[in-house]
Amino acid sequence: MTARICILDYGMGNLRSVEKALEHVGATATIANDGETIRAADGIVLPGVGAFPKAMSRVRDLGLDELLAERRGAGVPILGICLGLQLLFESTTELGGATGLGLLSGGVAGMEANGLKVPHIGWSPVRWEKASRLTEGIESETPFYFVHSFAPGPSEEDVLGTAAYGTRFACAAERDNVFGVQFHPEKSSTAGLRLLSNFAGVCAAAPAAA
Amino acid sequence: MNLYPAIDIRGGRAVRLLQGDYERETAYDADPVEAAMRWAGEGARFLHVVDLDGAKAGMPQNLDVVQRIAAAVSCPIQVGGGLRDSAAVDAALGAGAERVVIGTAALRDPEFLGAAIEEHGDHIVVSVDARDGRVALEGWTEEGGEGVVEAVRALSGRGVARFLCTAIEVDGTMEGPALGELGAIAASTDAQVIASGGVGKLADLEALARGAAPNVEGVVVGRALYEQRFSVAAAIAALAVAA
Repeated sequence: MTARICILDYGMGNLRSVEKALEHVGATATIANDGETIRAADGIVLPGVGAFPKAMSRVRDLGLDELLAERRGAGVPILGICLGLQLLFESTTELGGATGLGLLSGGVAGMEANGLKVPHIGWSPVRWEKASRLTEGIESETPFYFVHSFAPGPSEEDVLGTAAYGTRFACAAERDNVFGVQFHPEKSSTAGLRLLSNFAGVCAAAPAAA
Repeated sequence: MNLYPAIDIRGGRAVRLLQGDYERETAYDADPVEAAMRWAGEGARFLHVVDLDGAKAGMPQNLDVVQRIAAAVSCPIQVGGGLRDSAAVDAALGAGAERVVIGTAALRDPEFLGAAIEEHGDHIVVSVDARDGRVALEGWTEEGGEGVVEAVRALSGRGVARFLCTAIEVDGTMEGPALGELGAIAASTDAQVIASGGVGKLADLEALARGAAPNVEGVVVGRALYEQRFSVAAAIAALAVAA
């Protein structure tokens, strides 16, 4: 079956490229922020570019924090991308700090790049730290495209992937049906499309939305 | 070393110019988005998009095409051509460009360059195009007279993180890149350098990957890909094997 995936629109990020990439891998993608569309979806993508505190306040203003908690409770797969991944965690230190969605445990902090330039922009190989439905068919150390200054610190058992930039950092996390990637799969060539295709597969296999 | 397949847009089509001459154009794809999707589908990790009409007019003319390319491909794109003020830079980034390439304006308008770097940092690439070692301006129809190496050195001092260096004499000829000039430029800066012009065969890419300085991070390839001298995948392999 075709997975219906809702891309959450809270006014921050390049949603079109995520939408196109999901359509390219055969999913039905809809950009929305209303409860009806979100509740009808088999899976949810939380994208985002910009600063965490501003993004979280928009997410709350739209009531998306409660909708995400509800959908997660219903077992609907959620994928956070870049800033969207960071929002899944409990908190950040960015711009004086802010509270996140708390769907993954741990906090987000500025990168310690050991003298390398921040933001980290470019292709970096990603090492898979455990097997996952999200990364099936993608070899460990395949490069993905990054643009970020902050990175998450997940619980050790939730770390799905790591990359090295000055120091090794967590760049992909997973707990139950909540997934997050610090890199941009929609800009990461065939490997990125495979990851999105895998996510669509997870969504299609998850319990039907109610 | 990274491969940057080139998509030059003129009058809505993908074209190649010979030695930057607007009178010597070869048209390839009716729709540049098709070319972009072809290169990206073959595994390209970047695309280099030039708005030739914009370069000539001094302001972007094809941002609608840029937007369609950015949405259609799953790799980052850099965009140049006619970006001479901050509104144009913002519009290109807004259209989905990961990086913007500034040419003429970076050399003529230090205040604009400084503001662009301050605001967008590593998302700014400065294009320095050379004919016989001298800087060429205005869509390559005019020469600035300044030595290329001196220009790159001065711009590095102003915080430019990445240069695109095109050797006009060889651009579009497929007779091999200007390795000597590239070496002199790379040695004059700590910034990253993308080489452009003259690549015609895989051996050119291998020679670049083997011989170029470590800060030469990539190479733009245009005509050779359109004329199917080699594939994107073969080019990526050639640039990786020798590295």
